[in-house]
Amino acid sequence: MFEVVIGLEVHTQLNTETKLFCSCPTSFNDRPNVNTCPTCLALPGALPVLNKSVLEKSIMLGTAIGATVNRTSFFDRKSYFYPDSPSAYQITQLYTPVVEHGTLDIDFEDGSSKTIRINRAHIEADAGKNIHEGAISKVDLNRAGTPLLEIVSEPDMRSAEEAVLYVKKLHSIVRYLDISNANMQEGSFRVDVNVSIRPKGDEKLYTRVEIKNINSFRFIHKAIEIEVERQIEAWEDGVYDEEIRQETRLFDQVKQETRSMRGKEEAADYRYFPEPDLLKALISDEMFTTFSDIPELPDQKKARLVSEYGMREYDAAVITSDLETAHFFEAMLREGINAKNAITWLTVELQGRLKGGMTVTTSPVDAKTLGTLVKRIEDKTISGKAAKEVLDYLMENENDVDAAIEKLGLKQMNDTGALETIIDAIIAANDDKVEQYKGGKEKLFGFFVGQTMKESKGTANPQTVNEMLKTKLG
Amino acid sequence: MQVDDALLKRLEKLSFLTIDDEKREEIIAQLSGIVEFVDNLSELNTENVDENFALSDSGTPTREDKSVCDSAINDDILKNAPRSEEHFFIVPKIIE
Repeated sequence: MFEVVIGLEVHTQLNTETKLFCSCPTSFNDRPNVNTCPTCLALPGALPVLNKSVLEKSIMLGTAIGATVNRTSFFDRKSYFYPDSPSAYQITQLYTPVVEHGTLDIDFEDGSSKTIRINRAHIEADAGKNIHEGAISKVDLNRAGTPLLEIVSEPDMRSAEEAVLYVKKLHSIVRYLDISNANMQEGSFRVDVNVSIRPKGDEKLYTRVEIKNINSFRFIHKAIEIEVERQIEAWEDGVYDEEIRQETRLFDQVKQETRSMRGKEEAADYRYFPEPDLLKALISDEMFTTFSDIPELPDQKKARLVSEYGMREYDAAVITSDLETAHFFEAMLREGINAKNAITWLTVELQGRLKGGMTVTTSPVDAKTLGTLVKRIEDKTISGKAAKEVLDYLMENENDVDAAIEKLGLKQMNDTGALETIIDAIIAANDDKVEQYKGGKEKLFGFFVGQTMKESKGTANPQTVNEMLKTKLG
Repeated sequence: MQVDDALLKRLEKLSFLTIDDEKREEIIAQLSGIVEFVDNLSELNTENVDENFALSDSGTPTREDKSVCDSAINDDILKNAPRSEEHFFIVPKIIE
């Protein structure tokens, strides 16, 4: 039996307005090289000046993971030669990072949880992008110098499931803090996975393989499974030492395999040394106090929803798993509706109608509208069944709730006078059935309800109909 | 540190440079000279000096997170690049 040992490195692009060491705007998908200047193009004489906001966001992350925020941290220079970095080095924090020794709890479906240790989070500059085309490579340095926080876990995860739970939790924290857009597809939240195996019970760490190029939660799971399988096979075939090397492998989502990116003989030699162009990074008491006061985190929000609204743990977890859903839910509640109804209409009715990559953020029906719709059920303006029709209509047509109810003619008939007229007419027209009913054929009650609903075109409040019929039919 | 042909080969690889055969000895001698010069620093006793010692006690200056972008500058820089197309810097292909 083998045990899987996983550690994760997550590169989180901070959502600052400007780059780490110069005032160029950070951007995505702009015209190539428009957001560059002598500093991020590493022209001689241009010097880096630290973006204050990067320290502030680091404090927020450090606080959220219960870590030590180093009031004094240092920058180091990591040398490597590649056209995505015009300076031929990356400024990073090797020896004294801004954040150290944090933890993050992952929760399992059965209600148990596990604490994953976070070794560190350090500030570093992102590289540019290369597009390879035949005999040339095109270099776009818009991204060069964008601030990253690299968050490094200890090798505490023991399965692909745990790794995914960790990444999801970290993603959600980063979004709650709003320190990064954390969009995996756009590369603002990049996950590198370190995987090794060992015989169960063995304390030793064996050769770890780093997997890069994974851009979704699902692929993290898949890449780990595939790599673990490769390592176990090598072990069982007796070729572990030859085939499993400490190396970087790429995950190929089309071929469903990992393959070597650079061999051992080409192992990088980064020649780290203290960055001579920057002094130490200091965090003042004032800055620490201001930015360690962070917004509510997913776990706290979940606990609050459970205690405040008596929500089920599971529902609360669904609602708080991502910030957008949580905000949507809270905005719905501001319409003064019942929390349980809000959950159902958000997670079942609305989310069931969001198709083709639509999310609550891009939903044609916003939180206020959905909240109002639920309100109309609660104040008996429409029935729950009618509300579904109204929602269908609102998904396709821009309109407000009351206008839509009016237009669809779904307003519930709460006018007992009008309802009485309908019921009297039905009783008068069905003498025989009234007799049978009174004679004990109680099933016929349903017939009268049906007739009444039909006559009212479905707008009668079923509860009122029941009560009135019971009285009339004695 | 001994600078020899093996180390020079490694440096060539790391820096993507190729040193001509007739230049190798000269370069090895120059590199050895530089390393020897820096070795002078070893004479200093640093036993009780904090590893993060710096001449200045103050922190690195910081700036506000406000963007300033003058695209005339990067237009100029691109014009001066050995090769550029569609506002990309163009370099020889870097993967096989």
